[in-house]
Amino acid sequence: MASKVHVQDNSVVERRLRPIYEWLDSGNNKKALQECDKVLKKTPNLLCAKALKALSILRMGREAECVSILDSLIEDSPGDDATLQAMTLCYRELQQQEQICTLYENAIKLDPANEEFHTQLFMSYVRIGDFKLQQQSALNLYKLKPKNPYYCWAVMSVVQQATRGSGEFDSTKRGVLLSLAERMIDKLIAESKLDAEQEVQLYLMILELQDKLEEALQVLNGPLGDKLVCSSVNLYKLPYLTKLRKWSDVNLICKGILIESMDRWDIWKEYIASVFELMKADVVDEERREENHANGECELEYVDDTPEKAHEFICRLVENGDDNGYLLRGPYLARFELCSNLIRQGIDSGDLLGDVMELFIEYFRKFGHRSCCVSDLRIYLALLDGERRIELANRLIKDVGISSTSVPQTEQQMQRHLCSLQLSRLCSNHRNLSSDHLAALVTAFSLHYQHGYQTYGLNLLYTDQGPSDPYAILAAHILYDLSESTQSSKPIITALVLLENLLMKSPCSFNAKLLSLRLFHTIGAGIGAHQVYETLDLKHLQMDSLGYSHCARLPTTGLLTLTATLLDSTLKFFSSNYKDSSDHLTFCYKYGSFIKLNDFMDFREKLNNSFHYTMVAVDRIILNIVQCTSIDSLYNANILPKDNNIEWEKLRDNHDLSVYISWDPERIESTPEDAREIKDLFIQNVHFLKLRTHILWALSASVNIIKSHDSARNSCVDTLRGVQKDWADIYHKISTTKSVPIKQNLVTSPLPSRLHSHLDCRYFEILGQLFNLFVNISVEDTANCGAIVTDVQSNFKRLTGVVVDLVGQQRRSGDCYWKRRSVLETVVNAVEIISLSATICLLCNDLAKPPQNKRSKKKMDASTKCVLNDLASVIKNELNTIDSCLENWTLPDEFDLSDRLALLNLSANGQNSVIENIVNSHTTAVKELRTLLKAKLKMLSG
Amino acid sequence: MTTLRPFTCNDMYKFNNVNLDPLTETYGLSFYMQYLAHWPEYFQVAESPSGEIMGYIMGKAEGHGENWHGHVTALTVSPEYRRLGVAATLMNFLEDVSEKKRAYFVDLFVRVSNKVAINMYTNLGYIVYRTVLEYYSGDPDEDAYDMRKACSRDVKQKSVIPLKNPVRPEDVE
Repeated sequence: MASKVHVQDNSVVERRLRPIYEWLDSGNNKKALQECDKVLKKTPNLLCAKALKALSILRMGREAECVSILDSLIEDSPGDDATLQAMTLCYRELQQQEQICTLYENAIKLDPANEEFHTQLFMSYVRIGDFKLQQQSALNLYKLKPKNPYYCWAVMSVVQQATRGSGEFDSTKRGVLLSLAERMIDKLIAESKLDAEQEVQLYLMILELQDKLEEALQVLNGPLGDKLVCSSVNLYKLPYLTKLRKWSDVNLICKGILIESMDRWDIWKEYIASVFELMKADVVDEERREENHANGECELEYVDDTPEKAHEFICRLVENGDDNGYLLRGPYLARFELCSNLIRQGIDSGDLLGDVMELFIEYFRKFGHRSCCVSDLRIYLALLDGERRIELANRLIKDVGISSTSVPQTEQQMQRHLCSLQLSRLCSNHRNLSSDHLAALVTAFSLHYQHGYQTYGLNLLYTDQGPSDPYAILAAHILYDLSESTQSSKPIITALVLLENLLMKSPCSFNAKLLSLRLFHTIGAGIGAHQVYETLDLKHLQMDSLGYSHCARLPTTGLLTLTATLLDSTLKFFSSNYKDSSDHLTFCYKYGSFIKLNDFMDFREKLNNSFHYTMVAVDRIILNIVQCTSIDSLYNANILPKDNNIEWEKLRDNHDLSVYISWDPERIESTPEDAREIKDLFIQNVHFLKLRTHILWALSASVNIIKSHDSARNSCVDTLRGVQKDWADIYHKISTTKSVPIKQNLVTSPLPSRLHSHLDCRYFEILGQLFNLFVNISVEDTANCGAIVTDVQSNFKRLTGVVVDLVGQQRRSGDCYWKRRSVLETVVNAVEIISLSATICLLCNDLAKPPQNKRSKKKMDASTKCVLNDLASVIKNELNTIDSCLENWTLPDEFDLSDRLALLNLSANGQNSVIENIVNSHTTAVKELRTLLKAKLKMLSG
Repeated sequence: MTTLRPFTCNDMYKFNNVNLDPLTETYGLSFYMQYLAHWPEYFQVAESPSGEIMGYIMGKAEGHGENWHGHVTALTVSPEYRRLGVAATLMNFLEDVSEKKRAYFVDLFVRVSNKVAINMYTNLGYIVYRTVLEYYSGDPDEDAYDMRKACSRDVKQKSVIPLKNPVRPEDVE
């Protein structure tokens, strides 16, 4: 029958299938399925219709049915493009990329000369990253159709074996493979076939990987270099020349580029580095030196091998003036680079450049009206010691000429004022000021903000950032400092009011939004944080680079519904992307952009091993379990995150911290991502994730024990014991490591890891013991069960005791917001532990219950029953204790800031909405937590 | 003060200071990956001395015969680095690549309301070639100007003779 279909008129088949494709494209899978069935009624053996049916069913979420159709299709050995493509889509969406390889391997057997099938097979190997099979299939393809791209696919596949395959950790293999790749290209050159730009790039890449840089330079200087149409050969040469330490050439090439475009910062750096290398090595041969004297007029005929010559060169470019009508910063900043190199070499920079301080002043006078002036100068502030930085700050502020009683007269002067204030903060000028002094600064900046808004900010577009906004941001930063130094929440709430005012006027200021998000989380106000987060409108990769700022904290705020939504939308990005990411690799081959392949592979790894992704996946599952209303749903749920395929060693911190604007002096030393505190925080987070994942592993193993039958049960029990042992080991390792919560002195630092509260709340002590109980029941060793319950009970008592104390203190304290975040986190953790305990208790019950189907007369062992009843009443007891504690936990909706706000000239309107927001967060969280506790109570009693 | 270099995948982790601005769209990953793989030479980033992304340009080359041209898909500069000539530098680069590819012209689409951008492109030598009606979807839809600048290959400047009548989006390309 199948062969009959093949001879059927293609256009008829096409016409019949078209509606199915249309329904699928529009996402109407149900209609697509109906249409498939209709077509299959007429032509029951139309393979493509079957494949499309499988796809429709898969997209309706019926995975198992889809797989069974696919399995039966395979037996029919499909050999037409449309069917194969539909099946490919199914396997892609099922994450079974290997099956696609098999599919096309079989198709080629039927039709060995089909170029398309060979291409698809090659791409399917790319998706699974089997470089060796890639090489083979590319060569087969080349034999079939001798086209250059196919040949180069094979060469690149060899390179990948060398760098990411068998050669990755074996230098001999690597060498052999790379020299093979080189010879393959040589063959192409010998046949005069090497032609395309990408092919030359591939050749250069192979030479680079073997450190054959002289050869690479020869290629660039020869006829092949001319084929690099779109790249600049000089720019290609620079890194090779630098590595080969050919400083004279580097120097001359850089000079050539700089004369053309004096704003190329990368080239300035190379140039200045080469000057010092030349000076150090003193390698400029005499001949060149002679020429220097003879031909002093022509720039490009002599190298600059002393700082003096470099300085002259810079000065000449400054004199030559502007480019594009803009005053270019290049040569001015090049002077700083020269200075910094002189100092590093231990040479007095004063003779040549004068006092460093004056360089800063001069730069500020030229570019202070540009907001980039601050980040430009920031990198060179390290040239000044602490005292001189303060001196600089004072001089800059004096230079602008705004006193405590005057306001900027022009927008440019305002920008210069802002720039001086930001630099002044960078120079540590705000450190060690008294609270009164800081408060005075806040008042001044808030007034400047309003004056600037009234004067220069009224007629802006919706999308513009207000020119005076940075005053308000600066004021908010200082308010945060104040809250830290006075350990009070008032400044934080004042800052939130200030930022809310700003956002009403400049609704697109992302700096204000990021700051508000941080401040709302600082006081544990999840709803406020969530509202701000929504307005950031994060999309796609931003979910990974910025999502942490919200996802890491929202789960600790007790806003369960909001948390579930947030985690779901984040996971949606990650999982759909995971499916696509292997396709991106095939793009590189398709377009021959071999130079990008490595980058693409690194990126894929970075994204898939995102710590944030893994944390969200684990949190989502735990939240699901915590919220489940019946134990049965647990048996059908997927409890293991990321298909239990977490590569712990490869986990990455992808959080973009640089986006948070900051003028803290710490930014001079390093980028925030490189700070030691951030690295420590990451380690703490990974520890936390590991501990948390063990809860899931243990639960999953327990469920498997219940599901298992007599003979398999022992090995399931062993699995659970293994998990428990690992858990205990890492718990002891982590709990004995002294890990200090990340310091909160900087407003741009992330909030502390959840690890600390996790350890304080005794997750392991309580849940680990309950799993011990579970193991004991499963092997019918009930001797210790009573003791375990007593132990759990005392740990519970301790936990609820802490909760009750903390909440009580919180209620009585004069500042009801200051410690709210950490108290709330403890409460949420306690509720989570109790909910999980209830689940494990019910699992124990199910385990101890005799199997129903056997109708055995054996009833549950009386002592076990007694133990489990005891446990249930212990848990219920704690549930009630926490519930009544929460019942009385209210926040006063009055919080008087009017004195502070009056100083800032802010209306109390903003205050009300911020306070309302916080109170709303609190009431919602308490309500949701109490509802959860009641549901658990019901579940235990049911 | 610019380091001009090819855009890398990792830059997508660093471009938040540019993309959080409301006028810059953040696309799905595949969009960027397609451009990176297909026209890597046209996807460049301008980096500040302190290592931040100041802006970037995405483009492509397409068309047949005398319609072979460079196209600016996206050009964006972070608020902190505006009015420093960064956009001009990036545009020059793209025009340069288009010259090397022997294109006849470079074109781009811009919202008719985006006066700042239109002004900048005019200063760089671009003319309004035609209006594309309701090119940008939204509430309400907005027209686009298709702006062009001839390359040296178009000796007679045939590509930049403005069309009198506006066109519909479906008639473009």
